[in-house]
Amino acid sequence: MSTTKRLSWRVAALASATALAASGCGSGGGSEDSPDDPITIGVSLPLTGDFSEPGKGVERGYKAWAKIVNDKGGLLGRKVELKILDDQSNADRVVSDYEQLIGRDQVDLVFGPFSTRLVVPSARVAEEYGLLFVEPAGAAPEVFTQGFKNLFYAAPAVANDHYNHLADHILALPEAERPKTVAYAAMDDPFAQGTAYGLKDKLEKGGIKTVVDEVYPPNTTDFGSIAAKIASSKADMVVGGSQYQDGVNLIVALQQLNYQPKMAAFSTAPTEPEFAKAIGNKTEGILAPTGYTQQADYPSNKEFVEKYTEQFGKAPEEDEANAYTTGQVVAAAVEAAECASQDEECQSKLIDWLRENEVETVVGPLKWDDKGRPQSAHMIQQWVDGEIQIVLPEEQKEADLVHPKPKW
Amino acid sequence: MPSASLVFQSIVLGVLLGGLYALLAAGLTLYFGVMRVVMIAHSAFLILAAYLAWYAHRETGIDPLLTLLVTVPLFFAAGVAMQRLLLTRLRPATLTMMSVLLTFSIALVIEGLLGYAFSGTQRRIRLGYSSASLEFFGARIAVVKLIAFGMAAAALLGLYLLMKHSRFGQALRATIQHREAAALLGIDTDRIAGYGFGLGLATAAVGGTALALDTTIYPSLHWHWIGPLMAIIVVGGLGSVPGAAIAAMALGMTQSLLQLELSTTWAQTVFYVALFATLAVRPQGFFGGRLAQRF
Amino acid sequence: MAAVVAVALSFPSMAPSPYELTVGIAIVNYAVLSTSWNFVGGFTGYISLGHGAFAGLGAYTTALLVTKADLPSFAALFVSAALVAVLAVPVGYAALRVRGASFVIVSIALVLIMLLVFQSWSSFTGGSRGLVVPRPFPGMLRSEHHEVFYFLFLALLAVALLTWWIIDRSRFGMGLKAIREDEDKAQSLGTPTYTYKLVVFVVSATFTALAGGLYGLWFGDLDPVFQFSILSGAYMVLMALLGGVRHLYGPLLGAVIVGYGLEYSKLEYGDTPLHLVFAGLLLGVVVMFMPDGVIPAATGLIARVFKTGETSIREVTAAELREERGQGGAEPAPGSPGQKREVKQ
Repeated sequence: MSTTKRLSWRVAALASATALAASGCGSGGGSEDSPDDPITIGVSLPLTGDFSEPGKGVERGYKAWAKIVNDKGGLLGRKVELKILDDQSNADRVVSDYEQLIGRDQVDLVFGPFSTRLVVPSARVAEEYGLLFVEPAGAAPEVFTQGFKNLFYAAPAVANDHYNHLADHILALPEAERPKTVAYAAMDDPFAQGTAYGLKDKLEKGGIKTVVDEVYPPNTTDFGSIAAKIASSKADMVVGGSQYQDGVNLIVALQQLNYQPKMAAFSTAPTEPEFAKAIGNKTEGILAPTGYTQQADYPSNKEFVEKYTEQFGKAPEEDEANAYTTGQVVAAAVEAAECASQDEECQSKLIDWLRENEVETVVGPLKWDDKGRPQSAHMIQQWVDGEIQIVLPEEQKEADLVHPKPKW
Repeated sequence: MPSASLVFQSIVLGVLLGGLYALLAAGLTLYFGVMRVVMIAHSAFLILAAYLAWYAHRETGIDPLLTLLVTVPLFFAAGVAMQRLLLTRLRPATLTMMSVLLTFSIALVIEGLLGYAFSGTQRRIRLGYSSASLEFFGARIAVVKLIAFGMAAAALLGLYLLMKHSRFGQALRATIQHREAAALLGIDTDRIAGYGFGLGLATAAVGGTALALDTTIYPSLHWHWIGPLMAIIVVGGLGSVPGAAIAAMALGMTQSLLQLELSTTWAQTVFYVALFATLAVRPQGFFGGRLAQRF
Repeated sequence: MAAVVAVALSFPSMAPSPYELTVGIAIVNYAVLSTSWNFVGGFTGYISLGHGAFAGLGAYTTALLVTKADLPSFAALFVSAALVAVLAVPVGYAALRVRGASFVIVSIALVLIMLLVFQSWSSFTGGSRGLVVPRPFPGMLRSEHHEVFYFLFLALLAVALLTWWIIDRSRFGMGLKAIREDEDKAQSLGTPTYTYKLVVFVVSATFTALAGGLYGLWFGDLDPVFQFSILSGAYMVLMALLGGVRHLYGPLLGAVIVGYGLEYSKLEYGDTPLHLVFAGLLLGVVVMFMPDGVIPAATGLIARVFKTGETSIREVTAAELREERGQGGAEPAPGSPGQKREVKQ
């Protein structure tokens, strides 16, 4: 070994030793439960990167929940305190975030992150440390087939059930009015695809033919070719398993081709406040499933909408509501189990309680099966007279479903 | 079997897409020609231009096309500055490799800053004529796509005329062909190389504005563009502008037609299949000259 | 040296919580990846931005062998590395036939194409729904699991370093370095440059795949978007260059600096996309001002202070020689006589 090499080794050694030592120190001390300490709740959210927009919505929902709870004196007489980390929309990060929250920061409870892709890895961390994991965003079927025992989805229905009311409605239409052919286009994302394929399965069973079945990657920006296929199939109905912008792009591309279906259903996009402006107000008749409405008269919803609007200056959307619901679900369990800490006994009490009980939330009463799937259904909304209104199910409707859909 | 009208529609879409690819690939080819630099940040500048068009439109409501008046000179200047201030300072012995890393790092910085300024949300310009379209022998052409294609075609034509019929163009071509010989003839090759770089970046400004008319933009979108563009310049033969344009048209068309039978994702692989096939069979590219042999 | 090894080995017992252990694993994983990258980058000077693809392939192949072929986890790991090595041959064949630019383009294209394939072929790879890798040690507590993998990664790092060291001293290594300095001359002197490049490319891909596979077994959830990312390939380059590609421990040092820096900046300034800007600027600075990395920069300084600068000739470039002869200046003038060759092209 030449001198230079030995020297260089020493430089490297020094640096790595310092780094290791530095990363070793500065750990959060263990948290002893005392009645005055706040209950700390750890969350990792995509505040930057691909999922940053919905991620920030979820963050607002969580913050609104913490404020409302604290204004009323907290949980079990203790204040709640959120510790929110940014996972940069990255699965590696989300796991190390939850490791940090649970191991280093010793939070008492955790809430789930946003997006199916991030829920599964982070639920595993929580599961392996024995923590309850209530999440606001992982609706895809894969989330519930991993054998998690600690996971609960805090929304009315899993992705594949979003269109259930619409499927029932279509299959109940008289033969002449029922669409005969359907074109599906879904983003390659477990959630978005789940919504479209849930409807597809049900309609195919009912004998309605699939004429186009396209899957596009999340980074698709040019929908010309997909739209051309759909338009050329002249399908009676088009179904988009979309998130936000891809749904907008697909609709614009279809309009560019002057394709006029009798029915058009898209996930997520049509329920966003910006939607009408984004497609130049040509929204008439577009259908969309939603799990939340500001008008719902569940007792806690009024309070949520009012206080949220006060805090953020605008009414909450679905992401915010699902985050708030997560808070409500965990709070209900904490109050029933009368504990909030990482220790095994407490966490299993929380989990057991949620298995057995129903929780009142802003999206209605929620109950879960043994895999953590919620047992309710989504409502179906439609753009009628320039406004998005609930049309299904019958008992909750604000307007009648318009069929066939007017030209866009 | 897809119907004849659908095939025709796809061909039209393929031509429109190919035009944009051709313009952007021409820019990449220029950098390579004058400096032997693979400019990874090209598509990042493309997205930057698209963002500038979107931002100007959102803030002031002006037509995105007008932003070209600012972005084209701005990008030209940025290109010259980048060549003079950064790339010429790299060691010539490792220029090709290190310039890749340098332009890569510029791409990262642009992506990060765009994300910081405008967040990761997907954006789209809302134009009154977004969903308007024209009938063309039974195919439907969106007005915005037609404008984008027109811009690309005009810019390419302008580039062609400039290269063929101006003194600067001659000097530029001489520099691309043989830098030392050009220098011996009294051409200030350093300056010409700087201008060549600026010209390349100006194509990104035009391309970005065209892109912003009809598609969504987001900060990390440039990775989606750089792969196909690099495949195009290799297939076309590194350093050959006409080669790049022909390869761009051919591959854009193939992609569009493949989408009829395959999913969008599989159709994108055509670029990489073409890239690997070219390198395995004819590494100098299909239209490239002497230049490509060495690289 | 013994002290560092001791620190590295005792780190798990010093870590106050499993979280610090995961940071340790991430850093050692980076170190293995950038050391693996350095087989190509350091010896031949060919810069690959696409090594992320080999890591992703290693992870996915391991996972698929475990889930579809029911191989035991670690058998799957080695079979997967072998498969990636086989795949690296045609890739290297296409990429290395031409020099420089095309090689970089192919390396980037490789990541992009793998991303497309693993996303599209969802019936086999799980696509965007992801793929779950079963734990190799079921029933083990999570913290113990971290500890075991920390040592596995360390062991892999040791093997990678040892291999690099052996090649460095071999005839084979001499040939590779000749390619780095002047490929034409090396060829005319009878070095089978093409074969050499291909062999070292395959070795590099194999180690990268091993690191990727081990990571897959540890992490448990694979998603094409995160496995086949250009950024991860870029980080390998950044780490290796920052530390110094000509040095055995350069990539390791770079990994520690960058890995720790990433974690630290995340802890302190978390929620902005500025980490990309920092990474970009750092890479830019390294490329512009210290393309040989911090080890030469730092050792050059120390050596000058203690006046013990004795080096073997094949370890330094002309620029370094000039520096050591007391001219100083971190940045050599462009186009200096010793480097005329490329200018002519």
